[in-house]
Amino acid sequence: MIRACAWCSPDSCGVITPKSRFSQFRSPGRVSSEELTELIGRPIKYASRMTFECRACLYAAGLALKTCDWLDGASREIGLVGAGYDGCLLADDRYFHDYVTSGRSLGRGNLFIYTLPSSTLGEVAIALGLTGPGLHIHGERDPLGTLAQQAEQFIADGETDAMLALWSDAVSAVCLAIDRAKDASDKSPSFPSPDMSRAWLDLPVESNPACLARRLALLAGSA
Amino acid sequence: MDGGGIGGLKVTAMIAKSDVVTAYGWGLDALWNGLMSRRSPIHASKRFAERGFVSDQMADVPDLHIAPGESRAAALLRPLLTKLAGKLDPRTPLILATTVGEIEYVEQAVLNADPSLAQQAGPQTLLRRVKELLGLRGEAMVVSSACASSAAALTRAASMLRHDEAEQVLVVTCDSVSEFVYSGFSALLSLCDTPARPFDAQRCGLTLGEAAAWALVTSDKTPLASGAGTAILGWSNTTDAIHMTAPHRDATGLSRAVSRARIMAGCTPGEIAFVAAHGTATIYSDAMELVAFRRALGTPRPIFSVKGAVGHTLAAAGMVQILVAGRALREGVIPPTVGLETPDGSAIGWAHGDPVSIAGARRALSTNSGFGGVNTAIILGRGVA
Repeated sequence: MIRACAWCSPDSCGVITPKSRFSQFRSPGRVSSEELTELIGRPIKYASRMTFECRACLYAAGLALKTCDWLDGASREIGLVGAGYDGCLLADDRYFHDYVTSGRSLGRGNLFIYTLPSSTLGEVAIALGLTGPGLHIHGERDPLGTLAQQAEQFIADGETDAMLALWSDAVSAVCLAIDRAKDASDKSPSFPSPDMSRAWLDLPVESNPACLARRLALLAGSA
Repeated sequence: MDGGGIGGLKVTAMIAKSDVVTAYGWGLDALWNGLMSRRSPIHASKRFAERGFVSDQMADVPDLHIAPGESRAAALLRPLLTKLAGKLDPRTPLILATTVGEIEYVEQAVLNADPSLAQQAGPQTLLRRVKELLGLRGEAMVVSSACASSAAALTRAASMLRHDEAEQVLVVTCDSVSEFVYSGFSALLSLCDTPARPFDAQRCGLTLGEAAAWALVTSDKTPLASGAGTAILGWSNTTDAIHMTAPHRDATGLSRAVSRARIMAGCTPGEIAFVAAHGTATIYSDAMELVAFRRALGTPRPIFSVKGAVGHTLAAAGMVQILVAGRALREGVIPPTVGLETPDGSAIGWAHGDPVSIAGARRALSTNSGFGGVNTAIILGRGVA
């Protein structure tokens, strides 16, 4: 069951739940270390070295966890699935360009570790203490739908209690918080609500996280 | 976490068909016979001789034919997949497991100052190439979980079958030895300047290798799933959430994955006859694995690593060792850990430099770990459980 949908883009952030909507403008640009500290409630180690994508993912994931009251990682095991290559490709280019311009003999390990599609998920898991499954899964046709489906399977298989599904590009991230129904009679609110369906399920195939973030901001602002 | 497994789901996933290429050459026979010979194809290479890396050792595929403009990863996959083209139901879902895909396009983009080339490096591009080559039109996705990628992809395929989303799923994996990756591991001081020696007292780091493989994962209810296949009986994916590159020294994440996979498979620690270990030959990763095995399994039992022979094949590592483990279950013997001479103190009774008989064994464990603190454990079975 999808409990919350949070986003972070260069100009807005927010979260929508079945019962509430919150959205605010951000100063344009990357998420600052101070913004992360304020949201998470403690300084994030190595935040200054993280890529733009990583910071956006961390902020969106933190917002989703906080909204669901799951920020205390000790209370339940939470996993993470993510999709998005733009940030990874930038990291690839940054690493190899640095290596070549430095003489093509010695690369920088601290840049190399961000060159995997799953690097961002690893950093988010470390920062937020997420110890469940951590996989990059990029569906060809519907990246966010594939993530949500895979997240539900991880929970149904008993691999974890809850999952975050992160769809990101180089500067924006959208995060779904998903857990299981408490029992067959569980009527607690979950998505997709009709409003969410309009924002998410009706997305054109060629859309991207930034596009969805704009729709979510409009949706939240219309409340 | 209730750890309750997946009660009520009756489908067992089977690796019904497969193929592989490693530094030993083409096919599982070449891989198996190479391992049993104890001869390592790891060699000193001149490919990056001018670069001044900390090692020149690698386990690349010999005499690989690379067409003009083709990536090394695509060249590894093409011969494997050409044999498979047209033989699958076009609706078969496809999972591609890779870490860096066709990374040479990023290299060329930087070296030629042509950013447009980098767009071809995304794994989604390779996914489309694989689909086209095989004539598939169904659901397709890329799974990337560092060096646990192909093992994790097999768990996703098994999960899709158990949830009745497909009757069969094709999992394809590949990663090649590139200057990009070699320079990165060199920078991290992870490479050994001699062939890797997993679980050895004198181990000093990993050797990079390359491989490609595919596995057709089917339900045990389909005709394809003969008794000769390898069953995927249980699995678990976990994250350490401690460090981007270093393993958790108390092995919490991996031992948790092993225990959960075993519970999902419904078997006791004593029923697991052997372990196909990740065994990178780095000091801390091997030590962490042994801590996990001791914690989750208790008493010693035979383990093996293929990385002293075919090197660390990154995303492909999991599938390569699982195909070897399946062969071991059928042959009743596990291959030697090539490169192992004197087991580390903590590996005594576990790792062996000679083949070990496991006659009658029906259950095995395979484990992989990777950057970002990811761990995957899979319980394998001989034939249908």
